[in-house]
Amino acid sequence: MIPHMNLALLVPALPLLGFLITGLGYKRFRNNQAGIIASSAVGLSFLISLSSLFVLRNSGQDSATLTLFNWISVGKMNIPFAFLIDHLSLTMMLIITGVGTLIHIYSIGYMHADNRVNSFFAQMNLFTFSMLLLVMGANYLILFIGWEGVGLCSYLLIGFWFENPAFNYAARKAFVMNRIGDLGFILGIILLFFTFNSVSFSEVFAQASSFQVGAPVITLITMLLLVGAVGKSAQIPLFTWLPDAMAGPTPVSALIHAATMVTAGIYMIARSSVLYILAPTTLTLITIIGLATALLGAIIGLKQNDIKKVLAYSTVSQLGYMFIALGVGAFSTAVFHVTTHAFFKALLFLGAGSIIHAMGGEQDIRKMGGLRTKMPVTYWTFLAATLAISGIPPFSGFFSKDLILSKAFEHNFILYILALGGALLTSFYMFRLLYLVFFGEQRLAGSHPHESPKVMTIPLIILAILSVFGGFLNVPTLFGGDSNFGVFLQKAMTSFSGEELSHTTEISLILISSLLIGLVILFAYRTFVTKVLVPKADGEPMSFFGKFITNKFYIDEFYATIFEKPFRFLSGFLYQKIETTILNPAIEGIGVATLKLGELVRKIQRGNMSFYFFAMVAGILLFIIFILTI
Amino acid sequence: MILLIILLIPFLTGSFLFLFRNNSSIRFVALAASVVNLLLTLLLAFSASASNFAINWINFMGVQFALGYDGISLIMLILTNLLFPFILLAGFNRDQKNVSQLNFLILSTQSALIGVFLAQNAFLFYVFWELALIPVYFILLIWGGDGRRSITLKFFIYTLTGSLFLLFGIIYLYHLTPGNHSTDFAIFRQLHIPESNQIWLFWILFIAFAIKMPVFPFHTWQPSTYTMAPTQGVMILAGVMTKMGIYGALRFLFPIVPLGVLYWQNTIIILSLIGVVYASTIAFRQSNLKKLVAYSSMAHISLMVAAMFVQNQFALQGLLFQVISHGVTIVALFYLVLIIKEKTGTQEFQQMGGLKLKAPQMSIIFLIVVLGSIALPLTAGFVGELLMITGLFRQSAWFAFIGGTTMILGAIYMLYAYQRVMLGEEKSTHEKITDLKSLDYLILVPLIAIILVLGIYPQPIFNLVEESVRSMQNLLSPIATVVSAIVH
Repeated sequence: MIPHMNLALLVPALPLLGFLITGLGYKRFRNNQAGIIASSAVGLSFLISLSSLFVLRNSGQDSATLTLFNWISVGKMNIPFAFLIDHLSLTMMLIITGVGTLIHIYSIGYMHADNRVNSFFAQMNLFTFSMLLLVMGANYLILFIGWEGVGLCSYLLIGFWFENPAFNYAARKAFVMNRIGDLGFILGIILLFFTFNSVSFSEVFAQASSFQVGAPVITLITMLLLVGAVGKSAQIPLFTWLPDAMAGPTPVSALIHAATMVTAGIYMIARSSVLYILAPTTLTLITIIGLATALLGAIIGLKQNDIKKVLAYSTVSQLGYMFIALGVGAFSTAVFHVTTHAFFKALLFLGAGSIIHAMGGEQDIRKMGGLRTKMPVTYWTFLAATLAISGIPPFSGFFSKDLILSKAFEHNFILYILALGGALLTSFYMFRLLYLVFFGEQRLAGSHPHESPKVMTIPLIILAILSVFGGFLNVPTLFGGDSNFGVFLQKAMTSFSGEELSHTTEISLILISSLLIGLVILFAYRTFVTKVLVPKADGEPMSFFGKFITNKFYIDEFYATIFEKPFRFLSGFLYQKIETTILNPAIEGIGVATLKLGELVRKIQRGNMSFYFFAMVAGILLFIIFILTI
Repeated sequence: MILLIILLIPFLTGSFLFLFRNNSSIRFVALAASVVNLLLTLLLAFSASASNFAINWINFMGVQFALGYDGISLIMLILTNLLFPFILLAGFNRDQKNVSQLNFLILSTQSALIGVFLAQNAFLFYVFWELALIPVYFILLIWGGDGRRSITLKFFIYTLTGSLFLLFGIIYLYHLTPGNHSTDFAIFRQLHIPESNQIWLFWILFIAFAIKMPVFPFHTWQPSTYTMAPTQGVMILAGVMTKMGIYGALRFLFPIVPLGVLYWQNTIIILSLIGVVYASTIAFRQSNLKKLVAYSSMAHISLMVAAMFVQNQFALQGLLFQVISHGVTIVALFYLVLIIKEKTGTQEFQQMGGLKLKAPQMSIIFLIVVLGSIALPLTAGFVGELLMITGLFRQSAWFAFIGGTTMILGAIYMLYAYQRVMLGEEKSTHEKITDLKSLDYLILVPLIAIILVLGIYPQPIFNLVEESVRSMQNLLSPIATVVSAIVH
């Protein structure tokens, strides 16, 4: 037991308290009160997470377990309500509360005109609580509580403007698709329990070493858990909910659908690295899924014209990169990319929010343009994030993405080439976005964009600083660093110790990718700034491929055809044909036949209600007297 | 003695309700009686000493009037006496005809149900089983909605048919008992009926329970009855009477015809799993909120039946936990259906929407109950379903997978219902709608508190039933071992 470690219990408790206060008192708070309460709750959680980090480091131990009570104890199943504080959970806690605080503060400005702002903050705090439960849980079931909790909050916040049926549909779609993944996840947890007689991380991982690499049961467990991760982290085939999730307020997209919740799948697999290392088949599958998702997201991103949709597909794509890292066994690299991605993607979304705010709700980038001078803070911070996501040295995204690329290179050359191709697409669509929004002439007549208030720009600036310098957390030995972050995480995870690349190879890889990215940016500049090419309006004729990509490969339509419509048909068929036409009459037929018999005794029944009552009461009273007198 | 008191309080109070003229005093007296009964039940549940009651009754048949309980009875007793105060409260301040008769019938049902759960011999069980049907029949017939005559008749004939089979089964068992004959469960358990007879006897005994629960395809009375029934009636039916079927199956089948159970085990599990998917899929199609809830109840009960027949500790404890959880959730849901009907004047989705704008508090409570129903973690529903699916997994991963689809399908139809009622644009017909009244809070807040508390701290319920579950498994496991030894 580490002294003062119990303090860490406050980390999830404070947002929960914030939720209860803002939630139960939502009628009473005026102006920004709810926002201030909610932001302070998360802010305090951040400070406590930070101090927990120091407490743990000073204690000289690698982890601490805090047990509250026994949640479920049935037979051999013992599930304590317990938290695990180690370097991995602390990393995630710091991201969630740190980036979360900034987004909460930003929301005070962004949501100030909304008449349901109090319940907005209540739900944001509930989300933060659930997410913390997810990363702090000491066993798979506590993780699962948080896992479903964030799903609920995501549902609520996507459908925050609930008057709009399309938003409600998007919210339900997100929840149901996540639940599909969750079914796999929970079955995986159950199989895990029957295999190890425990679901707690420490016990499961301790016993895992007795299994051989490739043991079928471990492969099955990791596959089932993967299904959950695929749903939550929006990978192929369960990714189509994430772009639709952009229906929620933009801070929600930043916090839930970019920085934190969608990385839960990556966290869970990284947490289970001990199991995944034993399942090379699953790892290969993760790599393939990740690569396919990274490329698909990037390709669709090329043709999107809604600023949030571009960022959404970019998130899908970046999550794919994290999956690639997991798949090649570079678990700490994946978590590193989670971290830098949280910085720059939150920044991109908040920047987008600032732009949408300024444009009076307009999200179509074809109607923007020339915002560079009107919104300087937004522009410069957005530029920093764009450079970071493109992987330009020395911005944060460079360090994490380059590490993923070099791990991919170690693993397989084709994988490297494809992943690099995806990175080039990323730079292209991001700079396309940047140029269309901030450069050229203003294209929407009659609007007067203005810079956002300080409560929104200050979080942007802080996130920009993190996006620029965040990569220095993990400077590779190549640049004289000592991969601090990776070493820090090694205590909580395992990893493949593959062959180290020689420094010459590493430098040439970096040079090649940087050069290519530079060329792509130049190309984007020539297309969208020099030639002032604005993407075609909806409805104009397009090339076959253009149409294909603009319509997102018709995947939504495909799913509607093979799942939604058959389900609706089945539902109607079972109800109208089986239930109403076959089962009901069949049983009634038997009933009618019996009724004919019943007509014989019909004469006693006169339908006099009070007589029935009288007979009944009298009978029962007699019956009781009968019992008591015998 | 306390058992007899618990048994009689509702019925005797009900019989004196005719003395009161004022509707609100009638309701208040009825409620007071049920609250007293609840307190006595809790006293019983948490007192260390066991209690039972027995006197000779029908000597020539060797039948005693014997009441007693084990953990399983206790769970059922707690459920019954926990729900009836809420069921009675649901009638407060509402325009009803013949209030004293209605309350009398409700209280009579309560007594009969208590009798079913406490009876120590099959004869007494059967008497109460039939007695419970009569007041419910009248509640449906007099206070029901459109088409009540034909639907109630169908319900009555359906359940009566099942009961006749059960009666035949009991008589058959009675004749098998040695010496002076007896209908004691304890003696029935020691009969060791040959397997060939157990195989058909299983169905004779099971039909009545299968109809009550209901198990696919014996369910066709249920959706129409639920939809037509007055709210208090449907609360009794869905909240408590479905559990009569579960209780009966646990009392009769597993201890008395264990070989029959083993023989039919997979058949019943598969039928139940079909029921889960079938009812969930149909629920999505409903245009009527009450009917959707009716099908959702059938889906949940079907999963419970499947869990009951896998007969391992996880499944059984999960099942008994879910008995409480489902009862509380479904009663809250049907109450919400009632107040939605009162506010909007309809149960059809077509005419609903945007209620959240006018009644935000109601929408939050409705959402919590919906989440309990779709088994979100930290609600009671999750704990129950997790254990039941774990139990199913032990039997077969496929069973667990199909049972687990309730997680997905439940989310599909319940969130659909929530959206159609609460979200979207406000309907113009909703202009005068107000939010919940204090009576509504009095009913709904305790119910959701139970849903949440049991989801966060479920252990007391597990402790209550652990011993009974273990003894039930002990009954079965030696036989199962013998059988598997013969088979392999």
